[in-house]
Amino acid sequence: MPEPILEVSGLVKHYPLTQGILFKKQVGAVGAVDGVDFALGRGETLGIVGESGCGKSTVAKMLVSLERPTAGAIRYKGEDITRLSGRALKAVRRNIQMVFQDPYTSLNPRMTVGDIIGEPYEIHPEAAPKGDRRRRVQELLDVVGLNPEYINRYPHQFSGGQRQRIGIARGLALRPEIIVADEPVSALDVSVQAQVVNLLDRLQSEFDLSYLFIAHDLSIVRHISDRVAVMYLGRIVETGTEAEIYDHPTHPYTQALLSAVPVPDPEARGHRERIILSGDVPSPTNVPSGCRFRTRCWKADERCAVDVPVLAVPEVFRHTTGPAAHASACHFATEWATGPAV
Amino acid sequence: MPEQPPYEPEGAVAGTGTGGAMDLAASEARSLEPTAADPRGRPRGLWSDAWRDLRRNPVFIVSGLVILFLVVISVRPSLIASGNPLACDLAKAQQGSQPGHPFGYDGQGCDVYTRTVYGARTSVTVGVLATLGVAVLGSVLGGLAGFVGGVWDAVLSRVTDVFFAIPVVLGGLVLLSVVTSDTVWPVIGFMVLLGWPQVSRIARGSAITAKQNDYVQAARALGASSSRLLLRHIAPNAVAPVIVVSTIALGTYISLEATLSYLGVGLKPPTVSWGIDISAASPYIRDAPHMLLWPAGALAITVLAFIMLGDAVRDALDPKLR
Amino acid sequence: MLLEVRDLHVEFRTRDGVAKAVNGVSYGVDAGETLAVLGESGSGKSVTAQAVMGILDTPPGRITGGQILFQGKDLLKLKEGERRRVRGAQLAMIFQDALSSLNPVLPVGDQLGEMFVVHRGMSKKDARAKAVELMDRVRIPAARERVRQYPHQFSGGMRQRIMIAMALALEPALIIADEPTTALDVTVQAQVMDLLAELQREYRMGLILITHDLGVVADVADRIAVMYAGRIVEQAPVRDIYKTPAHPYTRGLLESIPRLDAKGRELYAIKGLPPNLMDIPPGCAFHPRCPMARDVCRTDAPALHQVADHRVSACHFWRECLDA
Repeated sequence: MPEPILEVSGLVKHYPLTQGILFKKQVGAVGAVDGVDFALGRGETLGIVGESGCGKSTVAKMLVSLERPTAGAIRYKGEDITRLSGRALKAVRRNIQMVFQDPYTSLNPRMTVGDIIGEPYEIHPEAAPKGDRRRRVQELLDVVGLNPEYINRYPHQFSGGQRQRIGIARGLALRPEIIVADEPVSALDVSVQAQVVNLLDRLQSEFDLSYLFIAHDLSIVRHISDRVAVMYLGRIVETGTEAEIYDHPTHPYTQALLSAVPVPDPEARGHRERIILSGDVPSPTNVPSGCRFRTRCWKADERCAVDVPVLAVPEVFRHTTGPAAHASACHFATEWATGPAV
Repeated sequence: MPEQPPYEPEGAVAGTGTGGAMDLAASEARSLEPTAADPRGRPRGLWSDAWRDLRRNPVFIVSGLVILFLVVISVRPSLIASGNPLACDLAKAQQGSQPGHPFGYDGQGCDVYTRTVYGARTSVTVGVLATLGVAVLGSVLGGLAGFVGGVWDAVLSRVTDVFFAIPVVLGGLVLLSVVTSDTVWPVIGFMVLLGWPQVSRIARGSAITAKQNDYVQAARALGASSSRLLLRHIAPNAVAPVIVVSTIALGTYISLEATLSYLGVGLKPPTVSWGIDISAASPYIRDAPHMLLWPAGALAITVLAFIMLGDAVRDALDPKLR
Repeated sequence: MLLEVRDLHVEFRTRDGVAKAVNGVSYGVDAGETLAVLGESGSGKSVTAQAVMGILDTPPGRITGGQILFQGKDLLKLKEGERRRVRGAQLAMIFQDALSSLNPVLPVGDQLGEMFVVHRGMSKKDARAKAVELMDRVRIPAARERVRQYPHQFSGGMRQRIMIAMALALEPALIIADEPTTALDVTVQAQVMDLLAELQREYRMGLILITHDLGVVADVADRIAVMYAGRIVEQAPVRDIYKTPAHPYTRGLLESIPRLDAKGRELYAIKGLPPNLMDIPPGCAFHPRCPMARDVCRTDAPALHQVADHRVSACHFWRECLDA
């Protein structure tokens, strides 16, 4: 991995459950994120996949300081940004920007495109002199593939794909080093998704960006990511390079997830081994003891209910050098006999 | 370079909904045809859309004309009534319609036509000022409570509940009976005092809704200050429901003023008010109904006009509420 | 044919003009067959289904032409009362968003049972027993206890099972599923799709599966109809369409799926945007985005060409497309 630009360690986010109206009393906590570690290298793309409720969006919000972590550290170039506030926080924000999922709610309908993309400069006046801003906004429109003459239009005059380009332009305005993209294409039409994925790809090399790419679409994550982390119920269960995760998954959850993805090839029908998990993801208010996945896992035994598996290269692979030797939080990690799905 | 991201020169066409009937909801938004695009890219936002709707709405045109007329005669009643509403001749008390005095005379021998015309000024003044006060106070308090949340919000919510529990007419009888001023201010103050919670609730709700939008999160992620979030992102998106509620409430304030004046705790002579005149005329409804009918009719038309205007504004600003 | 839609036209009148949502759609489904209708938002796939079900919002919607033959009868000629009897008993629909399709203040058992009370005149007690039986069928654990619970007490996947149970209740001849798994997680999606496919085989129902997901389609469909701008641009058996698409739009969709061998390269992307339904391009609606477009495409709307048995394509140059 290249030199890390962002390091996350022991990240925890608990939302308190309260009762009462005026005098709130805490009666419990929802562990949305419960001890997450990863690092993002300069110029690299880290994909985070997982189903709804696994905490991937909460991680994203903490990275851009929209949520304060309950515990843990987020180090940007060695400095823990979770304790920053005021001017120092604002300075860090210039370098970590976000692209949102829903292009319909992420743009203020009462502002023109020029105002939306130019707002970063108003908040950070030192980033661009006043007289230069309009030109910069037009440049950004051009960079994301929109006509610079659209500067005075309003968001509702654009389609979903075009709006997402506007959101990306806003994210780029301050020339950040890191972009956190939370499901950036999942709200778009199929024929437009590829356009936006290509745009993100092109911008990465053009502006030397590091991406944290969060999505539930496994095939798009595979296409864009260098490394992948799989999350389940607030924890990372497996992480490795894109090829390690997709071709040699060793965690049962990753295996089930990959096998469940429908493959756009009717010839594969009936020939694929599919692991159909039973039941649903448990509620984060009441997580299972030991391994969180054990309630849906076909390999689970007594040990899994007691010992929390750590995210490390499993014992069986520790002395091998193959692609299966990557971090996987399972007591019974094994390679998957059947080939990959995605 | 085969697959360069295209420029999409087709102009602005929306094509993404969530399926179903939404397919078409999205198409409502795709208004700007490539050919129809104004070369200056003139925007069409909420307000211009609403205005375009209003102009085509007969309800708006009729009520708007009535209100325009009311406003004009409030400012310059002498345009259509040459007499003095306070010049009365007891000898002519209760006389009916006669040349030059189409509405007849009231119990004090004052010209009903002149008094009805001059009464509009009071009603419009009270209605507009009370509405402004309610809208400003309610939206500031409600908007802040919704934005800040937490304890402030909880306290404000309980306070509004208390105010909602006060019966308006009873409260007016109690509070205004101790006031001796003969200006319109105590009545307006009372209306603002009891009216703001209604607007504050709406403003709080729409501030909370607006706050949750991703564009507010996006601005926060950029490091925007609270005042910027409120003024630039939340207020413009939360103001429409406040305007709708306020316009509709305007009519009810006018009728409340008449009610309070009728009960003797609102405005007092020599102020000219439809409520006072209705009150004075009501004992003589059998003998001289004209004394009651003209001011009561004017009041009904005015209240109706404002409520219809409010309806039209609501339809234009928030078609989903229809 | 169990259901045959013939040359259906639907318009929506909005304040900005007339949106032509469906412009001459024809398709058919046999008993025991799965037809997938594939398209993006605005393609008219859902509007067609709503017209078949008779749940189109009119106004602003308006059916301006065509026939919907169900078991030989034209549904569009039936009176509302007769139509209602067909709907629910013979035709059922499953929606994307199960939470908003269920009544939040009624226990799910009551909602399931209502079908039997209304259509079969059963007593409340018998209907409740039937509801438990149905919940068992769609493999909701502890059905006897859960029958009294409210929709919000079920997870997304379980709610979608309840929707399936409700659709199955009266053993309809045809089910229309509009993006039934789009709102679900991948692992749950697989469970629900499998269940639906299994029940369909068991009851020998016709199934119309409306989706934008090329993966789901490949797994379950027998035939596919691809829609674009309110028209069917290609219709074919599932294997043929994935192997050799006969329309450039279908080909574009298939090629834009990220594939292993394209890793690190640019994805193929269909250029441009889906059309504005109030201003559909003349000629072939796809021509502004089509890499094969020629002059004739800008002026002449292509007819549906017979490509092979059971296979049609609305492209002037379908031969070229097949060879490509």
